[in-house]
Amino acid sequence: MRSNTPVRGHMAVLHPMRIRADALPLADRMFNIWTFSALMLAFAAALIAPAFAQEAAPAERSTIEILLEWTPTLAKGFGFNVLISILSMIIGTVLGVILGVLQVSQVRIIRQAAWLVTQFFRNSPWLVLLFYCILLIPFQLDIFGTTIPFPGWIKAIIGLSLPVMAYMSEYMRGAILSIPTGQWESAESLGFSRRQTLTDIILPQTVKRVLPSWMNLYAVLTMATPLVSIIGVSDVMSLTRAALSAEGQADLLIPMYLYILSWFFIYCYPISAATRFFERKYSVKT
Amino acid sequence: MTISIKTAIAAAVAAMISTGAMADALQDIKDAGKIVVGVKQDYKPWGYLSSDGELQGLEIDLAKDVATRLGVEVELVPVVASNRMEFLQQGRIDLIIATMGDNPKRRQVIGMIEPNYYAGGTNVIAPKAAELSEWESLRGKDVCALQGSYYNRRVTELYGPNLVAFAGIPEATAALKNGSCIAFLYDNTWIESQLASDEQWADFEMPFATEDPQAWSIAVPLEELDQAYGQKMSEIVTDWHKSGFLIERNEANGIAPSPFLQEQHDMLK
Repeated sequence: MRSNTPVRGHMAVLHPMRIRADALPLADRMFNIWTFSALMLAFAAALIAPAFAQEAAPAERSTIEILLEWTPTLAKGFGFNVLISILSMIIGTVLGVILGVLQVSQVRIIRQAAWLVTQFFRNSPWLVLLFYCILLIPFQLDIFGTTIPFPGWIKAIIGLSLPVMAYMSEYMRGAILSIPTGQWESAESLGFSRRQTLTDIILPQTVKRVLPSWMNLYAVLTMATPLVSIIGVSDVMSLTRAALSAEGQADLLIPMYLYILSWFFIYCYPISAATRFFERKYSVKT
Repeated sequence: MTISIKTAIAAAVAAMISTGAMADALQDIKDAGKIVVGVKQDYKPWGYLSSDGELQGLEIDLAKDVATRLGVEVELVPVVASNRMEFLQQGRIDLIIATMGDNPKRRQVIGMIEPNYYAGGTNVIAPKAAELSEWESLRGKDVCALQGSYYNRRVTELYGPNLVAFAGIPEATAALKNGSCIAFLYDNTWIESQLASDEQWADFEMPFATEDPQAWSIAVPLEELDQAYGQKMSEIVTDWHKSGFLIERNEANGIAPSPFLQEQHDMLK
């Protein structure tokens, strides 16, 4: 019965809203299990193609054999990347939540200081922050006779947690401000102190608002961990480069980097898929 | 008031945090039972990674020999050109054996051990089809190179090639092979050993006379150069030359014979 052309006397706004089945965002329609399989097939094809080309010289190891041979070593490096990303995320999140709360402080000077710190780290290139951490933090600290060593990977964690902190701070500020001010007023009228309002009422509500962005940030952070190879941490990237130079075959470059790319993809894809799930779940229905 | 307190705290913290002045580095190494050596992991066959994750190569052999002579364990730390001197200054490593060229500028920062243990020069590897004959023919051409190599600047100034700098050897050789550049500017020792040992370079050559011979040095922190530690290292390197250990390891690692090693050996014999 419903017609799309406006008819005098019919008010479209009164029609009950129907949820269309294909309300999936474009990203979900583009990147699903099928495109994933296609990508993996393409990857396998890229691996196998040179192997066929090499059949003429059976003494040579095939690309797949070389990749498999290096897998344990590269996997150790990848584990290191994952470890660095998880620890940076934990440190960055804790600091970022604190900084975000400080950004809505009632004390003006605290608010401004927190804003400045946030903006500084949010708008600095990650690599520059990493370089600063490597160069400014000493190799070891002697405090009260106790020697605390700072190996490169710990510096890398500190360096990567700074931008995470800044992003998290902005997410928190946005989430806190997105909660209707009426809640602050109601809480105050019920005798909650500001601190209680924050910890018992406001912060729990920010969790679901921040969660999708937070997971997104983690995926981005994981992708950024190969940066640490530049500052001399033996991550998957520097090991890949070492492997390539040990094998000394120029045609191995593309398959090997593709192999590493697929590891990152397999690790990060579920995270971004889950992020979209949470985004839909918590999105405000309009 | 608050400022003076802050200053006092800062001063106290600064006093407590010291990176630990080393009284006798050689004794410290022996006490610790290990020497930490910075080596290359992407410079086959001087220092490279085997597929089971172990470091191998000529310089790793040298590092192990240093440890054996001192009676300690060896710990190998992979370094790259851009961080090795900082690591040494910070104390993260005790010794650099990482294809490092000896020059006056670096001598102001770290302690270069004499005698030099190796020497290389500058040359290019290019397809035979390119028919390069002299350095001048590089002018205006795209030439692959490595970021941070000391000879990049000199060659650019003298012969004016258009340098395309890559982060690693694999990237640079891949670019050379797919024709992105006409030649790859690198160390003649590496080029010679590649041409001699690897089938994939059959259509390539080293067309020029090697230029700008550069001696390589192992290095200790600058303040240790004249101390017991630096002198001990100097003794070890001298003995490497004298006993023929370097020539023997050079050959065992499949590197083309080095005239420099022979010359040093004959001189010290």
